[in-house]
Order: sequence, then C-alpha cells, then structure tokens
Amino acid sequence: MIHRRPLLAAAFIAPAVAMYLALIVYPLVQGLVLSVTDSKVGNAGTFVGAANYAKLASDGDVMRALGITVAYAAVVVVVQNAVGLALARALYQRPRVRQLGSTLILVPTLMSAVMAAFVWNSLLAPNGAINSLLTSLGLGSLTHVWLGDPSTALWAIALVNIWMFAGYSAAIFLAGYMNMSSELLDAASVDGATGWRRFVSIEWPLLAPATTVGVTLALIGSLKVFELPFVMTAGGPAGSTKTLTMIIFAKIFGGEGSFAYGATIAVLLLVVVVVLAGVTQSLLRRREERI
Amino acid sequence: MANTITSAYPIALRALRRAGGGVVRRGPLVLAGDVILVVVVILIFAPFAYTVVTSLRPAVDVINDPLGWPTSLTVDNIANAYSKINYTQGLISSTVVLVGTLVLTIVLGSLAAYPLARISRSWTTWVYRIFIAGSTVPIFVLIAPLYLLLRDLGLLNSYVGVILTYTAINLPVAIFFYTSFFRQIPIELEEAAAIDGSGPLRTFFVVLFPLLRPVTATLATFLTLSVWNDLLLPLVFFQDPALKTVMVNAYSLVGSYTLDPSLLFPAALLGVAPLLVVFAFLQRYIVSGLTMGAVKS
Repeated sequence: MIHRRPLLAAAFIAPAVAMYLALIVYPLVQGLVLSVTDSKVGNAGTFVGAANYAKLASDGDVMRALGITVAYAAVVVVVQNAVGLALARALYQRPRVRQLGSTLILVPTLMSAVMAAFVWNSLLAPNGAINSLLTSLGLGSLTHVWLGDPSTALWAIALVNIWMFAGYSAAIFLAGYMNMSSELLDAASVDGATGWRRFVSIEWPLLAPATTVGVTLALIGSLKVFELPFVMTAGGPAGSTKTLTMIIFAKIFGGEGSFAYGATIAVLLLVVVVVLAGVTQSLLRRREERI
Repeated sequence: MANTITSAYPIALRALRRAGGGVVRRGPLVLAGDVILVVVVILIFAPFAYTVVTSLRPAVDVINDPLGWPTSLTVDNIANAYSKINYTQGLISSTVVLVGTLVLTIVLGSLAAYPLARISRSWTTWVYRIFIAGSTVPIFVLIAPLYLLLRDLGLLNSYVGVILTYTAINLPVAIFFYTSFFRQIPIELEEAAAIDGSGPLRTFFVVLFPLLRPVTATLATFLTLSVWNDLLLPLVFFQDPALKTVMVNAYSLVGSYTLDPSLLFPAALLGVAPLLVVFAFLQRYIVSGLTMGAVKS
C-alpha cells in the first residue's frame, strides 16, 4: 500500500510536481525577476531595481486601468450574484420547471467569451437588434451607440459578462438551496414565515456558504476579464474599456515588446487579485462562522 | 406520538408539493414571480436562440429587418463562415489540444492525488497547499515568462507546448478534486487488493482508477469548457496557421467583419456546436463540472 512505500509515493507525485515547478512556479519567479529589469522582446535586460514599480505608480494609463478593472468587477460581482440569487430562488420554489429553467440559463456559460462577444457586438451595433427592439417598442429615444460611447461601453461589456454567468451564479445558489435542511424550511413555512421575511431571516443566512463561493469566483473572474474587452472594443473608445489585462497584453505582445513593464503590471494584477479575493473571502468566511 | 407527527410532516408536505402547492403558497405575488421568471429566462436564452435563427436567414433579410421573423432559411451563411474561419483545420487543432490536455491532466492529477490523500505527513500537506495556491495566479502573470520559456525550449508553435501549459494550469483543480475523492474511498479496498497480491501500481490502475469515473467526468467537463473556449494561449503560442484553434480562427474575423451578423453569428454557432453535441450526452455532468470550481475555494 502506498503509505508504506515512500519512494513509490514520490514517484506518483513527481510528474505533476515537475510540470508544476517548470510551468507555474518557475514562470512566476521569472515574472517577478522580469519586473526588476528593463527586458524588451525577451532579451535578458539589466537590473533596474524598483524603477518599473516607480513608473507604474506615476503611469496615468495603468492607474486608470486599475480603476476601470475594479469598478467593472464591483458591478459584475453585485449584479451577477443578485440576478443569480433571484433566479435560484424562483427556480427552487418551482420544482416542475427547475431542471428546464436551469438548463436554459446555463447555455450562455457554455459559450466562449469570443463567441459571446461576436453575438453581442452585433446585438449592440448602432443598427443591431437591441436598438431595433427599442425603436419597435416606441422607445426610440433610448437607442444608443452602446459600444462607441465611452460612458456606456464598459457597462455594455459588464452586461455581456453578467449575461454569460448569471446562470452559473444561479447554479451555485441553487445548490445552496438544495443543501438546506428541508425540516427547517418546512418548520418555517408552518410557522408562517413567508416572502421577504422568510428570505431575510432564514434563506439568506443559510445561503452564506454559497454566497462566499459565488462572490469570490465572480470577483476573481471579473478582475481577470480579458477576452470580452479584447474582442468587443479592443480597449476603446477613448481607452474607456482598457482593463489591466488589456494593458498587460498590449505591452508584451502589442508590438512594443515591453516584457519587463508588462510583467510589472502583471504583478500589480496579481496583488490586486490576491488582496481583494483574500479579503473578500475571509470576510465572507467569518460571516459564515457567525451564522 | 411526537414521532408520528414528525414523520407525518414530510409526507404531508411532499403530498402538498405533488398537488402543485410547491414550497410557496399560490397567490398574486407568486404569479407575478412566475411571469418575471419566465421573462428573465427567455431574455437570457434569447441571444442564443437569436444567433441560431439569424445564422439561418439570408444575409439580405437580416440587414433589412434584424428582428424579423424568418421567411426563408439558408445554410449559405454557415457554409461561408465555415470556410472563412478554416473550420475543419481549427476543429482538428482544438481537438488535439483538448484531448492531450484531458489525458495528461487526468493521469498526472490522479496519480499525484493518491499519495497526497493517503499519506498525512507535513510534506504531503505542503505539496498539496502549494498546488492549491497556484489556482489563484492569473495567467497574465505567467504569460511573458511562459512565452520565453517555450521559445527557448523550441516549443512555441507546437501542440506539446500548449498542452503542457494547460495541464500545469489545471493540475491544482485536478489534484484538489481527486484528493477529496480518494479520501472518501475506504482504505479496506486497497488492503483487500494487497492481500490478494496486487501491487500498488496495479491497485491504482485496476481497482481505484475505475472508481474515479464520476469525478473524472466532472473534471473533463470543466477542462473541456475552459480549454476549448480559451483564446489567449493558442493566440500567443501558435503562429503557424495550421495549428490555430477554432477560437483563434474565429478571432481573426474581428476587425474586417466585426459587425456582419451573417458571418459572426454562424461563426459563433460553429464555435459552440461541438460543446453542445458533447454535452448533450454528458448533460448530468455540466452543473457539477461548472460548479466544481466553486467547491475548490
């Protein structure tokens, strides 16, 4: 048996560890090393200390992208989970349509971001389906160049993100609902707890673990958003959809070949993801324990 | 007495549900909820349905009336998109990358998870923790060094480089999942196999690996979605047109055709079609495959 054969155990683990060290740990360290050099298009470069980080702090484009990324993530996390929760609750209360409903709303999650971007670019086009629909509903004054206006483009992309993953959030919350003890819920309904009161005082606290998972996943995913702005707007108009990932990609692969500076912004992204996700998760976990 | 009441409750409630009572009492509010639910589900599903319908309408009709009911159907758009995005070639490339990643991740992940689950020493705990920590690292932190590494190893423009990278990225998920599953398998099974003279390797592949099937299916669903739909790695690592995946080929439409629904919609449909076909057979694993990332944290 494996626990009496340490050498064999090591042999079982070795291939995975080797691959992980070579392709995750080593590149991670290399990324940190790159960020303190002046490497261009992959040349080794020379050591420049914290120069890239100093440049980062005074780089208006990067700071703007940081703001855009965080605002985008905040909106996506809140709206996507709220929609998902509402859908999960509605489906939980209607056992007959639960299966069909959750299958239909999961279809967008199967699509790649590239495909979703294709569909929505066309739907949101000036003469596309959304504007046609508004006109035919007599709301012609609301038609808009959604992706061409710096004040709406980011939120149009957020809408697509929410559309893709609302069904996913719903699946997480629905799993939370299915895990609830039915005795407790039955007792509550016998006691006459219904509607909003029942939701606030019974369901919401019991959904704490599902909330932790749903919020954390949406947060990490939306902070790392790349393909949607990359395909839908390429960062435009007027840089209004240039997220951190967009800037990193442009610096490294966009002709400039600024590997070192791109790696520095990537470190910023890593810190943002780890700090925001870590803080959010530990706050939500503490809340779980309180409940 | 108390027993009778508590056991009667669930039965009565189940009967109530069967009768259509559901978990909520019917009333005007619930009816409004029904309507809202139906509208929201339709709104979420509509863009996909619209994609299918628009793909099948003649281009002229779509331009004249984007929301119109289809009066005639055609497969011209799909045929056109098929050749514009080199679909056959993309399909082959995407499939090679996906299958390679699936096999490697499943084999290496389950092999490593076995001792990690069965041996509780400080070193196994550390190895496990370091693996799990890797799942939070954004690919953008690794992409430049990975590019340089694969370039130096001569693995740019090769299936091997991309497959190895995807495998490494997904090992944390695989190891997390297999480790928790191995812990649920009773150790008596291995002891019995050992008594029957089966060595650890044989026990792993013949006795344990078949038991992993449900986790493997869930993991495979998760991997299929993330690998098939990914743009970044193949875009950066494949320059040779013969290697480009479906997503990279589809992305090449952006720019020149960005707003042409009669090309983009069928292209989107072709991109998602293989997943829909595969998942039609694996339907019960979709939800678990999607939410397994959830269990991870």
